[in-house]
Amino acid sequence: MRRFIEFVVRYKNYIALCTLVVMSFSFMSFGALSQLGGFRAVVVGSIGWIQSLFAWVPNPVALKSENTALRELNLQLSIESSRFRQSMVENATLRKMLELQPLTTEKLIAADIVGKTTTELRNYATINKGTEDGIKEGMTCITDAGLVGNIVGASPHFAVVQLLLNRDTRVAAKVYRTRVDGIVHWQGETTLSLKDVPRTFDVKQGDLIITSSYSAKYPPNIVVGTVRRVDNEPNSLFQNVVIESAVNFATLEQVFVLDRLANEERAALEGEVTTKIK
Amino acid sequence: MSPLADRPAYMSNPAMRIIAYAVTALTLSVVHVVFLRFISVSSVTPDLLLILTVWISLVEGQFAGTLAGFTSGLLFDVASADVLGTNALAKTIAGFVAGYFFREGMAMQIIGSYRFLLIITLSGFLHNIVYFFFYIQPMQVSFLTFFLTYGVATTLYTTVAAVFPMLFVNRRQEW
Repeated sequence: MRRFIEFVVRYKNYIALCTLVVMSFSFMSFGALSQLGGFRAVVVGSIGWIQSLFAWVPNPVALKSENTALRELNLQLSIESSRFRQSMVENATLRKMLELQPLTTEKLIAADIVGKTTTELRNYATINKGTEDGIKEGMTCITDAGLVGNIVGASPHFAVVQLLLNRDTRVAAKVYRTRVDGIVHWQGETTLSLKDVPRTFDVKQGDLIITSSYSAKYPPNIVVGTVRRVDNEPNSLFQNVVIESAVNFATLEQVFVLDRLANEERAALEGEVTTKIK
Repeated sequence: MSPLADRPAYMSNPAMRIIAYAVTALTLSVVHVVFLRFISVSSVTPDLLLILTVWISLVEGQFAGTLAGFTSGLLFDVASADVLGTNALAKTIAGFVAGYFFREGMAMQIIGSYRFLLIITLSGFLHNIVYFFFYIQPMQVSFLTFFLTYGVATTLYTTVAAVFPMLFVNRRQEW
């Protein structure tokens, strides 16, 4: 017994250490049981009460870091908000364009306009799809609103569209209501013109103009625009029909390319006959 | 003249000293939980109870220091709503290690010198290794990364805070 007491006295520091370590581990293992119950809950509640008494004291360091964090958050939210608004506009446009899909039997290739060029009343747009996407020269570009133009050049990843607002563009069209034919072209104004319509033919303001099946270049029945007014020139047998384009070229961002080319047999025959006549 | 010679008479009474330590520990726990947010740097605060534990180890010896570490750690666990036993274990070990530097009658000389800071740093490192080992158990983070970020920072901040009692004792010795 005496030797035991001597042992304990001699190694009391180590015995105390071991005992307290074991006790600490015991507390840890019972941690879940003693989480916030009874006495501990009272202590934590009291501490919380004291903390609330001093909650009004500002903490400059915490305020500064909170301020920085809020500024960053504000910036992120502004960027997100801007993206969200842009997405909403894009979403609305694309939804309208998707509605076009069931109305046509041809395959549609969606493309974004990545550039616009104007040279001497010749307006062109560059799209981000090219020969690798199936785009070929001669294909027609449209939107949900109507005719945009046709492809006049293509590289593997890009293509150039000759827009309707181009003085070289000629579109065989007709008045949807009365089936009166004419040629749509542009001469630099804000509107298009339907030429070669005799004065006696029935064309009225508000009439819808669509592409005609006479055109070898454009597919038929694509909306070109609506008649804004009809000008009757005194010394002419024809009337000048002023058309407002269905497509707003100023805000044009996305287009569909119709995967359809002019019928080669028809083009060859028409070319042959024209040469014979001449 | 011993630096402890001018201390209040009640301090020579062991029971009174224990009460004084207990009151100090209780006060420091509350101060730590309530007020240390004002001087926290990136969530890192000095461990005032560790400084008290090392102080007790250097003044009272290894046995008392180990007990003080356990008690103050447990007190802090209760006050801070931490997992019960983690601070108790870490501070027990810190108090035990600090007790190796106990020299009879030399306590105030040690505390009033840079050795006090070295002892705090050593004890702090061991304390934080043990504490953060258990602290990060429920988390999916690397112990080494966490310790090198928070453990080292806490140890250094505690060492900086220990400069104040060191200077206080150092000045009293000069008086």
